[in-house]
This record gives sequence, C-alpha cells and structure tokens, in this order.
Amino acid sequence: MVTDSASKPQKQHGEPLEDTSGTLASKIDQMRKQIQEERIISVKEKLQRNGENLQRQISAILSVISSWDSSQTKENRASEMLSLRINQPQSKYLSLSQLSEENNPVGIPAHSIKLPPVEKIPTYTTWVHLARNVKMGEDQSIIGRRRIYYEKHGGEALICSDSDEEVTENEGVKHEFSEGEDRLLWMAFEELGLTDEVLNIVSQSVRGTSLEIQDRYQDLKAKNMGRQNQHSEDSGEYKSHIGICLEKSLGAALDSFDNLFCRRCIQLFDCPLHGCSQPLIYPSEKQPVWSEPEGDRKPCSDQCYLLLKDVKMLSECSTPGSLQGKITATIEEADGIVAPSSEEGPSNQKIMGKRRVKVKSDSAFRDSILPHDYSQTQNSSKKMKTVSDDTVTGSNDYNRDLNLDACNEEKQSVTHASSEVSVEHSSGSSGNVKPDKDVADRQKDTTNETEFKNLYSSMEGQFDEKLSLSDWKPLEKELYLKGVEMFGRNSCLIARNLLSGLKTCMEVASYMSIPHTFSHGTGSIMDENGKITANRPDQKMSRSRMLRKRGKTRKSKYSSKSAGIPYALKRIASGKNQSIKQYTPCECQTTCGKECPCHTNGTCCEKYCGCSDICKNRYRGCHCAKSQCKSRQCPCFAAGRECDPDVCRNCWVSCGGGSLGEPPRRGDGHCGNMRMLLRQRQRILLAKSSLVGWGAFIKNSVNKNDYLGEYTGELISHKEADKRGKIYDRENSSFLFNLNDQLVLDACRKGDKLKFANHWQSPNCIAKVMLVAGDHRVGIYANKNINAGEELFYDYCYEPEHRPPWAVPKAEASKKDESAANQSRSKKHQSH
Amino acid sequence: MAKVFGLGSEPVVGLLTPTKKRDYRVTNRLQEGKRPLYAVVFNFIDSRYLSVFATVGGNRITVYQCLEGGVIAVLQSYVDEDKDESFYTVSWASNVDGAPFLVAGGINGVIRVIDTGSERIYKSFVGHGDSINEIRTQALKSSLVISASKDESVRLWNVHTGICILIFAGAGGHRNEVLSVDFHPSDIYKIASCGMDNTVKIWSMKEFWSYVEKSFTWTDLPSKFPTKYVQFPIFNASVHSNYVDCNRWLGDFILSKSVDNEIVLWEPKVKEQTPGEGVVDILQKYPVPECDIWFIKFSCDFHYNQAAIGNREGKIFVWELQSSPPVLIARLVHPQSKSPIRQTAVSFDGSIILSCCEDGTIWRWDDVTNVPPA
Repeated sequence: MVTDSASKPQKQHGEPLEDTSGTLASKIDQMRKQIQEERIISVKEKLQRNGENLQRQISAILSVISSWDSSQTKENRASEMLSLRINQPQSKYLSLSQLSEENNPVGIPAHSIKLPPVEKIPTYTTWVHLARNVKMGEDQSIIGRRRIYYEKHGGEALICSDSDEEVTENEGVKHEFSEGEDRLLWMAFEELGLTDEVLNIVSQSVRGTSLEIQDRYQDLKAKNMGRQNQHSEDSGEYKSHIGICLEKSLGAALDSFDNLFCRRCIQLFDCPLHGCSQPLIYPSEKQPVWSEPEGDRKPCSDQCYLLLKDVKMLSECSTPGSLQGKITATIEEADGIVAPSSEEGPSNQKIMGKRRVKVKSDSAFRDSILPHDYSQTQNSSKKMKTVSDDTVTGSNDYNRDLNLDACNEEKQSVTHASSEVSVEHSSGSSGNVKPDKDVADRQKDTTNETEFKNLYSSMEGQFDEKLSLSDWKPLEKELYLKGVEMFGRNSCLIARNLLSGLKTCMEVASYMSIPHTFSHGTGSIMDENGKITANRPDQKMSRSRMLRKRGKTRKSKYSSKSAGIPYALKRIASGKNQSIKQYTPCECQTTCGKECPCHTNGTCCEKYCGCSDICKNRYRGCHCAKSQCKSRQCPCFAAGRECDPDVCRNCWVSCGGGSLGEPPRRGDGHCGNMRMLLRQRQRILLAKSSLVGWGAFIKNSVNKNDYLGEYTGELISHKEADKRGKIYDRENSSFLFNLNDQLVLDACRKGDKLKFANHWQSPNCIAKVMLVAGDHRVGIYANKNINAGEELFYDYCYEPEHRPPWAVPKAEASKKDESAANQSRSKKHQSH
Repeated sequence: MAKVFGLGSEPVVGLLTPTKKRDYRVTNRLQEGKRPLYAVVFNFIDSRYLSVFATVGGNRITVYQCLEGGVIAVLQSYVDEDKDESFYTVSWASNVDGAPFLVAGGINGVIRVIDTGSERIYKSFVGHGDSINEIRTQALKSSLVISASKDESVRLWNVHTGICILIFAGAGGHRNEVLSVDFHPSDIYKIASCGMDNTVKIWSMKEFWSYVEKSFTWTDLPSKFPTKYVQFPIFNASVHSNYVDCNRWLGDFILSKSVDNEIVLWEPKVKEQTPGEGVVDILQKYPVPECDIWFIKFSCDFHYNQAAIGNREGKIFVWELQSSPPVLIARLVHPQSKSPIRQTAVSFDGSIILSCCEDGTIWRWDDVTNVPPA
C-alpha cells in the first residue's frame, strides 16, 4: 500500500521529468562528446607542431653526424680499425633464409680484446656535503608513500614496503577539475540553468560530488566576472612601485622577515634547520632604549634638528645635561617677554593668562613638544641664518604665532596639539627673535587689525602643516614607532636607521611632536611612547640604574649556582640514561612556572625563550675561568652543552684567535668547549676503510679530547626514521643517528665525511650529542691521541654507565643490533 | 593505481590491432653467449657507421654490422677481465676528432670508454658509487655522455678529456636508483631522467654550461676538475606509480614507460613562477601487452617515427610515434622468441629492428614490405 501510494505520484510526475531529463542528458552528452573530440584534435595538433619542430632538430643532428665523413681524410679512415673491420669482418652470420638448418655457430668465435680490470670503489649512495644539519624537506618524507624494492638475488621480485596502513586516502582529496570539466559544467549550467536535473547528469560525466560541482560553477562565475572587470580596471591601476611598498603596513612589509628570517641562526633567511614561519617569540622584558647623551650628539646631517637647536641656543647658556630645566626657563622667559607686549590689548591679556596655564598643564608634554618646536622654528631660523635679521619676516612669523593664540582662544575647534605647538613656538623662538620681537610688537600695536586678517591665513598655514604630516605613509609611521621603541625619541637615529631616504631628521622631529594625530589604533605603542617620554628627563639616572640591575643579576647568578643549572646537571649526575630532550623555546611572558613547556618537557629555558632573565628554569651558563671548560667541572661540559658566549661568563670569542694582537680579556685562555659552535674542525679524509667499505681518516695528528668534526645530516622524525631504517637495513647500510627524543639524524644523502667512519669496539673517537645554541648536534671527539692518517672509528656511547644494550662487544653486536634497531638506531658499517 | 583523467584531458590511446603498415620478417638470429643481453644500440652519431651496432651482456661488449640479405658480421669483441662485471648499457660516442667510441657501464659502476678506431680501452671512469643503468650520448656534441646510476645520481662526462663535469643529485635528486636518462634532441642544456622513485625529472645545465665548455679545454688532471652538483631539477613529474625504467624525448614531449604495459607520451608544462613544479599533460598512450617487468627499454629510429619495444614473452611491438591516434605498425612474433626482450634497436630508417634477449640471443627483423617474396 505504501509503495503504491508512493509510486503513484512519482509516475505522474515521472513522465514529463524523464522527458526533459532525457533531452538534457543528450544535450549534455553532446557537450561531453564535443569536448572529447576537441581534445583529440588538440592532441593531434600538438603532436603535429611538435613533430615539425622535431624534424628541424633531427636535420640539425643529421648534418652534425654527416660532418665526420667529410672532415676526415681517406688515410685517417683507412687506419681506423672499425672501418677496417667493416671491410674485413671477423666472421659473418648468414641469414636464416640462407641456412637450411640452424647451424650458425653458437658463441662468438672472434678473438676478444681484453679490457684490463680497473679497481672499483666501495659502493655509496650519492650524497651532498652538509656543513650543518638541515630539517627534512616535506617532499623527502617516505611516510605514506609506496616504496617498492627488489631483492638482489630474487630477480624480478617486487616487495612493497608499506602495508595497508598507509594506503593513501583518496576520499579526503578534493577533486581537481580539468579544463574540459570546467567547460562542460559551464556550458551546461549557462545554457540549461543550474537545476538539480542538470546537476545530476553533469555529475555523471564530471567527477566530484554535486556540491563540489556547484562550488566550482560559482568559482568559474566569479572568475569570469573578475576577468571582465579586470579589463576595465587595467588602465586605472597604475601606481608607482615605491608607493605600493609604503602603503603596506609594517606587518605586511615585514611578512617575509617574520616568516623567513631565522631567529635562532640570526644571519639566515629561509633557514634549512629551523624552518620558516617559526613562532615569533617576543621577550617579556623590553630592551632598554638605546640612547646616547644629548650633549655628545653631533648633527647627523644638514637636515638634523640639532642644527636648529644650536642656532636657537646661541644666546642661551648651554649645559647639555639640564636640558629640561633650560627649556622650562625658555618657556618662562618667553612668557615674560611676550606678556608686556600683549598687555597692549585687553584681549591679548586674556590670551596670556590662558597661555600660562596651558604651559603649566602641558608640562607633561614638554618633551614631545620640545623637538617639535625646533622644527617649527625651522622656517624662521633658516631665514635667520640665511637672510640675516630680516625683521619683516621675523615679525610676520611672530604675528602668526600670536594670531594663533588668539585663534585658540576664540576658536576652540583648533586642535589641542596645534595650539601647543604654537605656544611653544613663540616661546622657543623668543630668545632669538628678541630684537625683532620688539619691532614686531610695535608693528602689531599699530596693525592690530591686520592681526585678525592674518589670523585666517595663519590658520591655513597650520593646516598646511598638518597636511604635510599626512604625507607620512602607513609604513613610515610604523617604522617611526619602531624607531621610538628602539632609540627613544632620538630623531637622528630614527631617521638614519629606519627612515633613511624617506624622511629627514627634521621631518622625524616635527612628526615626533604631534603624537596625538595618530589615529591608527596604535594606542598601546603610544602608551609606551608616553612612558619613554616620561623617563627621558632622568635618562642618565635610569641608565645607571640599569647597569646596577645587570650587575645584580650577575651576582644572583653566582649565588644561585646550584639552582642555576637544574636539569642538565642532574641528568648527568644521576647517571640515568634519560633520552635527551629536544629544546623548543617557550613563550612564557612572565617568569616560567610549572606550565612552562620547557619545564614540563624537562629542558632548561634558553636565551631563545621569551621568559625573563630571572626565570628559574633558565640555563645560566658557566663561569669557569681557568679550566677552559674542558672537564666535567664545567657545568656546561658536564651537561653535554657547548659554552655559549652570550650566556657563559668567561667564555668569549675573539676575532682572529689572538693573532691580531687584541688585548687579552677575562680568563686565561680560550674556552675549549665551543669548538662545534666555532667550527674548529679537523681535516677529514675519505678513503677505503681497512675494515669494510669506506672509511674516514684524519689528516693531521690530534690529541685526546680534540674535536674532530660534526656528524651532520638530515633531521627526521622517529617515525620517518623507522621507515627509512627498514630500507637501510635491507641495503645493509644505515647512517641514522639518534639525536634526541624527537629527532634522528640521517646522513644517507646529506652529510659529511665523518658519516663514513666505521664502528669499532675499541674506538679512537667518541660521538657526543651536544647542545649548541639550543640545537642538539653530534660532535666527534678524539678518544686518544691519533696519528696523522689514521682511520677513525667510534663507538656509540659516551661513558660506560651510559652504554646502551646494543653497544656490546662485537661478537654479540650483530645480533643485538638488529633487535635494538627500532629503539636506538646507530651507525653500522657499510657492507656490500 | 590508475591515474584518473578528467574530462577533456584524456590521453589518446592507440589500438592494438596491427595495421601491417610495415611487414617485418626474422632474417637472422644468433646466440651470443649464455648470459643475458641487456642492451643493443645502432650507431647514430656517425653517418659512416649507421649499419654498425653494439651489444652488451655479461662482461662482453660486441660490435656488429648489419649487411644486406640479413647477414650480420662480427667486427669487434671486448671482454672485461673482471668476470663479475655485467654490463647493463652501452652507447656510441666519439672524441672531438670523430673517432668512434663505445661507452659501456654495468654492475661495477665503472664506465668503460673504448676507442673502436684503435681497438683499445681509451679511459675508465671511476666515480659512480654503484651500478650504471644507462648511458646516453649527446647527438650534437658526441663526446658528452650522461650516465644514470643506482647511486641515485646522473653524471655528465666528457669522454674526450675524461672529466666528470656535473652530478645531478642532491636535495632535489632521485630518491632511488636512476634507471634511464636522455638528452633533449635540440636543447643541449636539457636532460630527462627517471628511476625507481617513480618520478621523471627534467634537469637543466644552462647555469653550468661554462663548466661543460671548460671540460673541453681542461689540461690538468681530470680529478682536479671542479665538478659541480646540480641539486634541483627544473621539472619533477609523477606520471607513473611504479618504477620508470625508460624515458626518451620526443621533441619537447617525453615518452616514458613503467611496468604498466604501456608507453606514455606526455607534455611537461613548466610553471614559470614555481621552478621544479609543473603540470603533466598526458597526451597519448601506446599499449604494450605483457610488459610488466622492469628494465625493458624501448628504442626509436633516427627520425623518431617509430618505436620498438619487446615484452616479457619475446614479442615486439612497433608503434608509429607521431600519429594521433597512435598506430601499431607491426607486432613481431616468432614461435622461438620467448625470452624477455630487454632492449631493441631500430635502424636509421626503421628498416631493421634488432632485439636482445634474456637468453643471450640477438634477433634481426627486416622490413619486407616492398620486397617481393622470393
């Protein structure tokens, strides 16, 4: 019953539906066929074109191969054995038709020319030299890939390495539409409309779900629209290159820097070891602003604001240290001077009163105002310099300022900033323009009305000023802010280091004075600005305090000697064979607590962490003075770390190793525990091993404990290493080296010559995993004195109590090696 | 895993019905020895020797000539004194004066350069870390050869001066044995290589061409030559899902084969913005039944009009390469030819097809289309 009722309406609607869908299907089928036919034609055309090219190429080759014939003389040819043999072959095999039976001789009767044997070299896979470890490229992974191997002696037997677990999933892969499919669905939907029926039929000839098809259609639609629009927009889209750059925000402009610059290697972009797009870790403690005393500064250029200041200070006593007081004095003085002149008019007096208040209330801004006033006087002072005492100009300038004050009082709409500027301007210039001012005042008395006429023009002047400020591109503004962060409010340094070629020192200084015109949501940075500004007056004090602070932390390092090296030391001392932990910088903004990833991971915080200097988990380095960090007395050495000149107290790096005659510094000698960092390696030679395969040899004799070189390679995950290990085991040559809990070194295709050093139970070298600048690296060190030219061997463990099960005497080694291969991979000798 | 083709990007597949455009008959068969023959090759680099061919198998290199009436003449024979040597490949080359050289390589990884003009070993190149799977000669500069090796590298050599000029391996190189390599017919900088990592890679030596030129004038020891690594190919194609054991340029397109019973013709479309990546447009397919074992190589005549390929059962398929759809010119079957055919050789004009087999036999097939039956 149910089926009946259900089928009935279907039937009723079914017939017309089928009808339309039938024609639709045939239409779409037609389209499909058309596309396929076009494809066949296009292939044909491609082949034709290619064939024509090929014939030209062939005829060029033909002329080359025919040239030998003509270039050689007859005599030459006659002496050529191959030609001789052609005339007198050693023997002939008659064709089958000429033979009644198959009685052509078996084997070659001719006398053979012997090729003397050549000594062949041990086998190896082509490898490239690596000076430092690199992270595996994503395309180099063999996980999830089908690998096929053939047994050497099994003929054609193919063995697939990976079982079903790694069959690549096709379901998750999005269908990629071919050009033809695009055309089909475009044609179908454009002509027949996007209905379910059409969709249904289309999805039969186009792969991908109907949803994907619909999405694709929308994409195509958008693309087509875009293409049409582009035509119209193309003409109007001209912009100068530099303009585009400067319109970008700092974030966008620094994008490649943020993503590509390696903060661990400092000098590298697109670091092959630490990779791109590392998380940006900002130190929780801001660096103190770099600054130099104002008085020591020399003008940075002829556009320097200091030049203005010099001019202005001509009549002032100049004690560079007490800048602040001086300016206050200047302001007061200016007020005093201006006051009598402004008493003339009752309205002016009001201005005066207001101004005084303002000066006081603005004292917080003094600093920001200060540089600005230099630039404000830029025009006038320049004129003063060039056109000496041009009274008219001077007075005009002065008029303008006063007018602005008036304007301020009357028109409150004028921005706060500009009014301050004008006030300061008048006071700043007052010292210099003193003689002119009297004239100006007098002039003003007489031309009281022109004052108000000038009012509007001067306002316009102010707005001009503001307009010029808007010339600052977003990038320049942000660069400026960064500059303030770095150098404080030092326009010389900012202009020179960050805005070189874009803005002059004076422009920067003038920009500095109006911080409130920012409207770009840079509030937080502005706050910081404010702080810096506030700090500025007692800069010297804070600097000295800074130094003291540093001293303190140093002291605390002494005192917390035992606590300063918490994990690393313990690890060694306890003698547990804990696997070494990979270090990843933490981003803790406060002192690291229990949640700190470094802490939970069991590593120390390093200099790359974001946490503060006083972090309890931070590795504090050693302070060895005389031991040269060559024994376990050195905490770095004992912890399996190389000393870090940034962290350790007496471990320093000098240029030229003393050969340049630089004065000796603290400590008696060089730190002996930075050799991997400084790459003070020995010359290694590659030759046939006395044992098997290739071997590594030392060129010059070395002493016990000398650093020989680094075992470099590709850094791969343990999972990847397991996969590769299987293959390497099959080939019986493995160059895997366990590095830490996350990474394994594979030197198979990338490495250095030390990868060829073989294993020996009584080795002359040892391999040690060292933490060098946050990275684990494998160093090869001499275990005893080694003579020049000796072959190098090393064992897998550092110390007897650390010896893993697989590093046992040779007799058992081969068995155990395989059983332990999964946990701890190690080098095996190459044997073929 | 069969590649799925979207609408409008399907390859044109040739039909396996022989058109008998050309009729080939067996005219000769000879047993060279007991060891499998891996390579047979006509001399295409010197017009005086177009009828001369060479074979390798075991530790032996033999030079023959095809004479009229199906007769094969033995010209020279070379034997490596190392009995364990097993040559896999041989190629004709020459010194700069045009003296005909044979360049052979095999399991030992040593490249043997033989001066057939003086019947002496000219040079031996030691350098490859493992066996050599194919050697090819640059037709325009026939003293340049490239070698593909199990050590995952391709090397460019100057046989005249004995210098290893370039090594194509490293960060972007092959990740397993390289099985086949070929020079572009006209773009002297380009080579294509393929191998057991299932990829076909196109390399350019344009940036390193000064080293190639330097190799001709080098007078110091060859070992002192500043050999360069080319670490990144300009194109990396995943056309096959298994070993790719033979590739040849067809103009700017590439013919390659895996163990999937077919030869594939495809166009490499290099993206300018992202070197190394690219799109493959598979244009045509030439089916070859029972061709599912690896190390079976095809060969073309001088003009690339036809390709001949043997199969696991001793049959040979001759395809017209440049017609669309592909045309099967002939299917060569002989009741006694049952051993896998490792390589074929097509003569200059395509009138002779040679095959060398696993059982150590050489077969000669002659075009008898226009020859009236006797």
